[in-house]
Amino acid sequence: MRLWHMLRSRLRSLFSRDRRESDLQEELHFHLEREADRLAARGMSRDAARLQARRMFGGVDAIKDECRDARGTAFVDDAIRDIVYALRGFRRAPLVAFMVVSTVALGLGLVAAAFTLLNVFLFRVDRVPNVHEMFAVERARNADGDREHFTRVQFDALRRETSVFTDSFAQVRDIDSNVDGHRVSGAFVTGNAFQVLGVPAAMGRALTPADDGPLAERAVMVLSDRGWDRLFARDPAVLSRSLLINRTAFEIVGVMPGGFRGLTPVTPDDYWAPLSLLGQVSPSADGTESVGLDIIGRLKPGVSPQAALTALAAWDAGQPNVSSPPRAASPITLVPKRGTAEQPLEAVAVTAPLFFAFGLILLIGCANVANLLLARGVARQREIGIRLSLGASRRRVVRQLLTENLLLALAAAAAGFAISRVVLSTIVNGLTASLPPDIGDIRLLVPDADWRVLLFLVTGAVASTIAFALVPALQATRIEPLRTIRGEVVRDARPGRARNVLIGLQVCASALLLISAAVFLRSALTATEDDPGMRISDTVIVRITSEPARAAIVESLAAESSVAAVAASWPNIAGELRPAVAKSYDRTAAVACRFVSPEYFKVLDIGLVRGRTFAADERSPTLPVAVVSEATAHALWPNGDAVGQVVRFDRDQTPDTTKANGPQLESRTLTVVGVVRDVPGFRLAPFPTAVVYEPTSSQMAGTSLVARVHGDPELARQAISNRLTAIDPNLGEVESLRWVSKMQTYFLQLGFWFTVVLGGLALALTVSGLFGVLSYLVEQRRREIGIRIALGATRPHVMRLVVSQSIGPVSAGLLIGGGSAAGLAAVLLATPGAAPIGEVVHVLDPLAYAMSALVIIAASMAAALIPAARAARLDPTQTLRQD
Amino acid sequence: MSDQTDVLQGTLDLLIMRTIALEPMHGWAIAQRIQQISNDLLRVQQGSLYPALHRLEHQGWIMADWGASENNRRARFYSLTKAGRKQLAAEVSKWDRLSAGVNLVLKRT
Repeated sequence: MRLWHMLRSRLRSLFSRDRRESDLQEELHFHLEREADRLAARGMSRDAARLQARRMFGGVDAIKDECRDARGTAFVDDAIRDIVYALRGFRRAPLVAFMVVSTVALGLGLVAAAFTLLNVFLFRVDRVPNVHEMFAVERARNADGDREHFTRVQFDALRRETSVFTDSFAQVRDIDSNVDGHRVSGAFVTGNAFQVLGVPAAMGRALTPADDGPLAERAVMVLSDRGWDRLFARDPAVLSRSLLINRTAFEIVGVMPGGFRGLTPVTPDDYWAPLSLLGQVSPSADGTESVGLDIIGRLKPGVSPQAALTALAAWDAGQPNVSSPPRAASPITLVPKRGTAEQPLEAVAVTAPLFFAFGLILLIGCANVANLLLARGVARQREIGIRLSLGASRRRVVRQLLTENLLLALAAAAAGFAISRVVLSTIVNGLTASLPPDIGDIRLLVPDADWRVLLFLVTGAVASTIAFALVPALQATRIEPLRTIRGEVVRDARPGRARNVLIGLQVCASALLLISAAVFLRSALTATEDDPGMRISDTVIVRITSEPARAAIVESLAAESSVAAVAASWPNIAGELRPAVAKSYDRTAAVACRFVSPEYFKVLDIGLVRGRTFAADERSPTLPVAVVSEATAHALWPNGDAVGQVVRFDRDQTPDTTKANGPQLESRTLTVVGVVRDVPGFRLAPFPTAVVYEPTSSQMAGTSLVARVHGDPELARQAISNRLTAIDPNLGEVESLRWVSKMQTYFLQLGFWFTVVLGGLALALTVSGLFGVLSYLVEQRRREIGIRIALGATRPHVMRLVVSQSIGPVSAGLLIGGGSAAGLAAVLLATPGAAPIGEVVHVLDPLAYAMSALVIIAASMAAALIPAARAARLDPTQTLRQD
Repeated sequence: MSDQTDVLQGTLDLLIMRTIALEPMHGWAIAQRIQQISNDLLRVQQGSLYPALHRLEHQGWIMADWGASENNRRARFYSLTKAGRKQLAAEVSKWDRLSAGVNLVLKRT
């Protein structure tokens, strides 16, 4: 009964606030009237009785408040009233509210975009049941940073002989092949993979062990959602179709669900196919026995990773050592496999510059907000003073301010979310549209936002509004009501120092971004002037991925009318050259080997310095002749003529050289027949200059073709591509060399655009903040300026007075910004991993620093001049007559 | 008038409930009745009466209904609920014990 009563009363008081309020009003009114009646009956005049009744009763509003408090609904009531009050405040000063919300939202949206990316790498686990049970069995990286993989035999043994996993599967990922000119990547898995993962297909069926067995009748594959979209445009009838990869037709038996990524962090491969078919797709993986496998297992419930690791290590110690030459295998590790980045620190490092740059924008925006609110502090002080003197407790006022800021924060978070989506899709679309077509059809996806992103946004919004909006407001409550009502500013409401620091901070951040932009721009400009040392404007590279079709491809290329000349090279032009040790009779030099056909030097315009290049019939790697670059000649024969000298060649002893296919490098003796100019290559991809060229021909397996073409190289590229497609739709990678060189400028330009947009944004925010503050100061000092003018100050004098206000913080900000840019650059150059960047980007380019400083100074002056001019135009008689 | 005492804190609830135990009353009448019955010895601070009434109603001891006052105006009449009667009995016995104890102490010394 009592409970019901309370509940009813509470509900009623919650939902019928108006009625309750009028009830309370009427009740107290009745009391006062009745008391006045009593007093009047004693002979008081009616008016005096009323007054007396009121006096005896006390403050009606305070008692009303107490009654509301007694009901326990005050909290909700107050919240509603605070919200209404705040909304009314926003309506009264919509520009301020808009400024706060839009600036915070802009900065926050940018940071949230970076967080969305980070979220994809760090927190977004794959949609696999009980994904925390999934672990990869790996060997620790050895001293060279390489990781040894497992063989099929080892995997079978592990599955048979250990019992820590419910089950485990093996896979080979990222097998690229060419389908209709698209690059398609696939993962080859043992047939039990999808059973271990426990993920059913969205359409059709997943792979089964039977598909992978020796008795499998047909080649089958399942598509990932991405592959279905990319290769079949989400064709609902895809299950009846097949995909031709390197002459093997794979029947599509299923499509996996969209959220499933095969335990990879960002995007899955396009398809999964049985491991037993790997040899048919990837010619380099000749035989599935030797290929390196990743092993992924589902840990048995109740088995701790430590216990599992101990068991696996014990198993591994009992395995025969099969590596040749025999060396100690790295210890086994267990790595959680959840579809997040395996090196979280790397992901953080990759997104850190984004966070930093975007965070700067947020910081500048918030500084603007704080400046704005500091300027509004006077008006706010008066308002709060009135509320305090009307009897509001400080707690109530602070709560009201909190509500107000919370509303602003929520609005900013919502707008920030929209902005982050726009930013991400702009970045992704911009990248997709501007990527040179040769890099291929990398289709980037706008990463999804999930609850973590929303949480991040709301937290960020609340934190930034509280830090930058609440603190100035809170200070306003620490006042003496009486004096503030009169309009006297009690505390220092002109915190000039705080404002200067904020402006300095903004200028500093803008300087940092603009300097980066200028550095990138200058580097991009100089990069286009770089001479790679070879002809790139009309050169097309043809990579041959299928050796059986080599003869047909060479023939077809020679028949193409747009092709002027064809040469062969191993490795291909941009490929990594094989290191070797070359010896003259008294010197030794580390050189790189390149096998080329005699036409190579002519096609690429590599100038002959001395001697001759290969003769037309010198096309065999076994011939004892060599052409050396100037750098090689200088290293081996610094004082004499290289031509006619004998060079002894030794195989470099690093084990890697034995793995790659192509012509084998045997230790032998060659006679140098000529010296050619060095080919420095590209800034982003420099070539070794000390090169020894040896003869080969386009018939040799492994060589790539280089063609000089007539006319537009892009048209020629397409013509060649069409021809090769006619031979085999899956064959031939054709790219014009011009794009290779454009790639490097592309990345520099990307950096430039990124920083210049952000720097522009930062500068715009800074300038608007500076403008606002100076305008406000001029407004505040009208009287003083009026008096100065009346006393004979000239206009230039007044203008100088206003402009000088900004000189201090702007120059301090510039100095600190430039200093920190240089400091960051120094740190970058000192970091071993990042040092090569210094060769591509001139991080300490003085011209770039000067340019950005000039831009900032000009912009700040422009922002200062308008308020200054307004101050100079003040009419002294008018300003002095006011107030 | 000068020897009037403000109602002791914590006893106001008891007095209110005792007063309306006989018949439903509005707030003004409750204050008057307490003063009358105590021979003007006790004075109810009018400002604290209404918060107390609302608190008691919120706790479910008393309930309020609109009715016509003695001078035929709309007034809010408070009456005890069933739970309120139990509570009153408990409070009264508690008060009896307390005052008896206090009296004993005061008389001894």
